[in-house]
Amino acid sequence: MSVDILEIKGLTKRFGGLAAVNDVSFSVREGGISGLIGPNGAGKTTIFNLITGVYKVTSGEVAFAGKRIENLEPYKIADLGVTRTFQNIRLFKNLSVFDNVLTACHMSAKYTIPEAILRLPRFRREEKLLADKARGLLEIMGLADRMDVQANNLPYGLQRRLEIVRALALDPKLLLLDEPAAGMNPDETEQLMRLIMDIRDRFTLSVLVIEHHMDLVMGICEHIVVLNFGQKLAEGTPDEVSVDPKVMEAYLGSSGGTAC
Amino acid sequence: MNQLLQQLVNGLSIGSVYALMAVGYSLVYSIMNFSNFAHGGVIMLGAYFGFFGLTLLKLPFAAAFILASVGTAVLATLIERVAYKPLRDRKAPFLYFIISAMGASILLENVVIATIGPTFRTYPEIFAREPIALGSLAIGRLDLIMFFVSAFCLACLILFIDKTRIGKAIQASAYNMKACALMGVNTDLVVLIVFALGGFLAGIAGVFFGMKYTVYPQIGNITTKSFIAAVFGGLGSLPGAVIGSVLLGVIETLVAGYLSSQFRDLIAFVILIGVLIVRPTGIMGKTAEDKA
Amino acid sequence: MDMTYIQGILMLAGINLIAVLGLCLLTGFTGLFSFGHAGFMAIGAYIGALMTVPPSTMPGSIGGLGLPFIFGILAGGAAAGIVSWFIGRITLNLKGDYFCIATLGFGEATRLILNNVQTFGGARGWPGVPQYSTVLTVFVVDVIAVLFLANLVKSRHGRNMIAVREEELAAQIAGVDVFRYKMIALIVSAVYAGVAGVLFGHYMTFIQPKMFSMTKSTELTIIVIFGGLGSISGSVLGALVLTALPELLRAFDIWRLVFYGAAVIVIMISRPKGLMGGMELSPAGIRKIRAERRARLALKEEAAREAASGGRS
Repeated sequence: MSVDILEIKGLTKRFGGLAAVNDVSFSVREGGISGLIGPNGAGKTTIFNLITGVYKVTSGEVAFAGKRIENLEPYKIADLGVTRTFQNIRLFKNLSVFDNVLTACHMSAKYTIPEAILRLPRFRREEKLLADKARGLLEIMGLADRMDVQANNLPYGLQRRLEIVRALALDPKLLLLDEPAAGMNPDETEQLMRLIMDIRDRFTLSVLVIEHHMDLVMGICEHIVVLNFGQKLAEGTPDEVSVDPKVMEAYLGSSGGTAC
Repeated sequence: MNQLLQQLVNGLSIGSVYALMAVGYSLVYSIMNFSNFAHGGVIMLGAYFGFFGLTLLKLPFAAAFILASVGTAVLATLIERVAYKPLRDRKAPFLYFIISAMGASILLENVVIATIGPTFRTYPEIFAREPIALGSLAIGRLDLIMFFVSAFCLACLILFIDKTRIGKAIQASAYNMKACALMGVNTDLVVLIVFALGGFLAGIAGVFFGMKYTVYPQIGNITTKSFIAAVFGGLGSLPGAVIGSVLLGVIETLVAGYLSSQFRDLIAFVILIGVLIVRPTGIMGKTAEDKA
Repeated sequence: MDMTYIQGILMLAGINLIAVLGLCLLTGFTGLFSFGHAGFMAIGAYIGALMTVPPSTMPGSIGGLGLPFIFGILAGGAAAGIVSWFIGRITLNLKGDYFCIATLGFGEATRLILNNVQTFGGARGWPGVPQYSTVLTVFVVDVIAVLFLANLVKSRHGRNMIAVREEELAAQIAGVDVFRYKMIALIVSAVYAGVAGVLFGHYMTFIQPKMFSMTKSTELTIIVIFGGLGSISGSVLGALVLTALPELLRAFDIWRLVFYGAAVIVIMISRPKGLMGGMELSPAGIRKIRAERRARLALKEEAAREAASGGRS
């Protein structure tokens, strides 16, 4: 039996008079990889911002694991197990690769500030655990040999990968990836696809991905939601969506060529 | 009733001078997004330029006036070149601009102390002291001239920004500097013009300030109040700066008149904090959600 | 130069250092700039004096509680901390330089209020504060301040603050309660400033609102930047150099602040990372610098190799 980990109902976001997202409903199956596609300006990233609490919802519901989260602070949503990457990579640029991941591990420790400034035993014990966890993650994700590099000195592809590692450090149940393959060549995209599937299995989480690379979306997503002008155009399996006449029209009719 | 009217007139007059200074802060903020704390130093030097124009060079009043404002316009652009341009080229965060501005302000103040001296200087009397009687109101000649000259300058500025090509370029740069550069606008020139405009008005304000009070190196500290007026009205908005200044001027004189002159300076900062709590973007400022 | 003179400079530097360390956390590690910390120093100085000044015996003199110095230090720090909590509640949600502006307003308002409160002597000031600050007390407080701060920034709490400085949005998404950590940084920095104020008052034996003007706040921020954002050792060096230098330049009295202003601009445009720029002069810090350099070189080599092999294929 499959359960929906994320349920979105009638989600709407207005900026002034403009509805960036208008009455969108869909859900993400637990353990699944879902795709969110649509032409530029269709409202995909806005939906990510609404799910993660970066924007306040105008109306509608977002439920994660049965709990309403639409008006929570972003850090609380992260606390519950929803995290994301950004379209324009947002790393802690001046920190080392290791420190980027170590920082994000913070929720695995419970020591307080007084314990930290007095270096009490729990502080030292938990700090060691955090460091081990960060190192472990970097090893699994193949970044261990670059631990000491300053994040903004990493090559572009690895920066994207580091952002995913940082997200994983939170032990998320739902991972939102915003155009993870942007700027990658077919080879790298191929690698990324394997990586995403591998992550899903290894960390037992669900993935929602925004992507323009149709190979990637069609290749790994079990379920696809198509947006256009802030509204849901279609949803279904890759096969269903790719033959949907409305989708074809949106892609070929108004902004032809993006669907390649 | 009569006293209230009198206070309003005084407040309007000082508020109009605040406005001359506040638009300088706001213009720079609108295109560069930082608070130019060196502006106070520029105003202070404007007061000195005018003073020496009148006393040392024995210039007629109008000429001293022009000397002061051209002098500060040049000074403001010079500061931009030396203290901000390298930061702009490097795309440094706004905090570096603020610190650099603080440095420039310390530099200006102390250059004046070291060369001219820390003493207070009084402008020669240009306008007769006895006020003009208007019904039961007594209006100082200087106050009247301050008000009309300031209003005239502000009107010119707003027309300039609204109607000329350069003004349009400034507006566009305020909206999106990067896009403007891509569209072929010489944004470097726009920045210089903005500093020159702000500096020019600062000179006029400096001379008025010197005439109304006295000239001394720390005069820039008082100009902090015009900065508050700019925040009050909404940083980056010209009409906001003018409205904020006039309101601040009036409120200040009312407080000084009815409560205590001790609270005169305090009220400005109380307003500042109040505005930031209730409406951080000021009266006319834009509110926008950050785009992720 | 006699010993008392040097001692005086060292004490001033040590006192400045405490306030600078607080700002180092707020500005260098959390990325918030304040132009009002002299206000917290003032609160510390006045509350501290209220604790230690002996009760008034004759009319006209301003009396206090006559408690031992340690109570003065604790009360001064606590008072500044409590005020900063209120200030933080209303200003920490402000964006970018609006927070700076709000702190500026707070600092100036504090000074103007003290100017008008006649119970504490108003603008004329408050003489007769006992001379309790000694080289030893200042040194001990400095050491404690450095240790606490160093331990804090090397903990998960400190890393969360750094995350806020680096990329606020990403920090939120990583589960960091941005408001809370900004608040903690503000309170810690205010407590440090308050303690510095207490020690300052008990060194000068006379306090006056004028001592805590915006110029003082700016001076503290400039020291932090001069030392290098995000570096405790930088702040220590900065406080020593920038407190001692103007004192040693007394000979050029009227020109020294001119140089000072010029130096600030030069630092901003030429070496914005300050003396230390995020690096620490400690065994762990040096290890980190070397590891980083090694990693960077390895990366460069790899890129070069790849480019070479790419050229062949």
